[in-house]
Amino acid sequence: MITVTGLTKRYADNTVVDDVSFALEPGTVTGFLGPNGAGKTTTMRMITGLVAPTAGEARIGGRRWVDLPNPAAVAGTLLDAGAVHPGRTGRTHLAILAATIGVPTRRVDELLDLVGLDDAGRRRIGGYSLGMRQRLGIAAALLADPPVLILDEPANGLDPEGIRWMRELLRERADRGGTVLLSSHLLGEVEHTVDRLVVIGAGKVVADGPIGALLAGDGMRVRAVDAGALAGSLRGAGLTVSVEGPALTVAGATAEQVGRIAAAGGHVLTDLRPADRGLEDLFFQLTA
Amino acid sequence: MTAVIDRPAAVLPSRPLPDRRPPLARLVGLEIRKSLSTRSGIALAGAAAVLPAGAVALMMALNDTPPNAATMLALLGTLVSMLLIAVGVLSTAGEWTHGTVQTTFLAVPRRGRVLAAKYVGAALLGAAISAVVVGSTFAVAAIGADFSWTGAGAAAVATVAAGAALTVVGAGIGAAIGNAPAALTGTYLVLLVGMTVLNGAKPTWGKHVDPLAAMFDLVEGDATGRPIAVLAGWLVVSAIAGIAVTRRREIS
Repeated sequence: MITVTGLTKRYADNTVVDDVSFALEPGTVTGFLGPNGAGKTTTMRMITGLVAPTAGEARIGGRRWVDLPNPAAVAGTLLDAGAVHPGRTGRTHLAILAATIGVPTRRVDELLDLVGLDDAGRRRIGGYSLGMRQRLGIAAALLADPPVLILDEPANGLDPEGIRWMRELLRERADRGGTVLLSSHLLGEVEHTVDRLVVIGAGKVVADGPIGALLAGDGMRVRAVDAGALAGSLRGAGLTVSVEGPALTVAGATAEQVGRIAAAGGHVLTDLRPADRGLEDLFFQLTA
Repeated sequence: MTAVIDRPAAVLPSRPLPDRRPPLARLVGLEIRKSLSTRSGIALAGAAAVLPAGAVALMMALNDTPPNAATMLALLGTLVSMLLIAVGVLSTAGEWTHGTVQTTFLAVPRRGRVLAAKYVGAALLGAAISAVVVGSTFAVAAIGADFSWTGAGAAAVATVAAGAALTVVGAGIGAAIGNAPAALTGTYLVLLVGMTVLNGAKPTWGKHVDPLAAMFDLVEGDATGRPIAVLAGWLVVSAIAGIAVTRRREIS
């Protein structure tokens, strides 16, 4: 649904986005991760036609943003929740956008209720908190109930209840066949929300794939009452063991292998799980 | 916040919209609505429409000999046009200053179309406010005695047309500069200081360049061809500059 091919952006002699390509299918939530200045926001702005690429292109449903007759009906966006006129009320902001897109005004009230701004909708945006502006931006993105959502830091300013609500909202949209692209610095939240990751570092894609595959480690992580003795048994069976604090990492082993060796040696295990990497470890490893 | 599970489980989009661009007429109406949707916009438009009536009443009260309709409209119309230029500037540069240009161009990515709507909207708003100025001026003046209505009809038409044109000039300047305070400051410096210096040093050049003087001459009935050419020149140059710059400017 979102296809990015060779997207590049160069300013003078600085290449901020370098040959970025990825394709997102319906029914998925994709996390777009990268450190500050990696090129995430510029990439998203090139996808949505706000910034002209130096090379490459992006298509939504097979068409460039500028060729979509009514883009908001295809892709809802939240790129900057602060890009609102402080003198307008929340309701007026949404009503003007709804009228532009061709969505009935009653949809504005539905969405204000959905995002918890039904009372605040008649107040001027200048008096909104960061979280309220963020929720207003989410409401704007959902006005046409579009099949695609492109969100830059959507959880910014939301409290834990809001973050959980956002997670459920995005998953529900993916379950209904929608395509969601979201960038975030909240790695813990991303890990619980997305199906796949695109990681960008210094303008280049450094990882792209299902989150399970990217985080999968090789081997098992095990804790025992007597870790030293267990390590000896495992090494005696020809396995490579590394010690990380109270835990042992056994490279290339399955849970059954470790379990049998522990049982044969009479070792008492307190924890046995796949040696997956955390998203934070992956992030720092890829973007160092 | 309501639970997401309350929503119907239809495949997206659950209510598809027609795959066509919003009509230009709708965009024009929305641009006028945007201009009048904030307190600053309402205050500016309201001041432009209402203050001249008070000024007329004051002039009538202070003068033994009431001026004629054309001269009165020339004076008031030109003064109001300075506010109309600000209305125009805010309709374009205001969007850049507050960042709402992002929302606008995400929804309508063809920027030339957006600017066409803004220019038409600015012209209609400027014409409407100028028409109110004409109406209120004539209403107050009619109360006084011995008011000369010579040239009133032509002056009224010229006021509305020139007011519309100068609002569009403001919109073009605002689009080209992209920053409301800078656009307003620069415009008033040029019109109030620059043109005053030019008119003093080279009056002949000033007559062919100063848009406010051109409006005054047009409404008062002193000239027609030259003032129309001056106002048209400002309108065309500012409108084209606004479109050319806006199409290239990145929204980062």
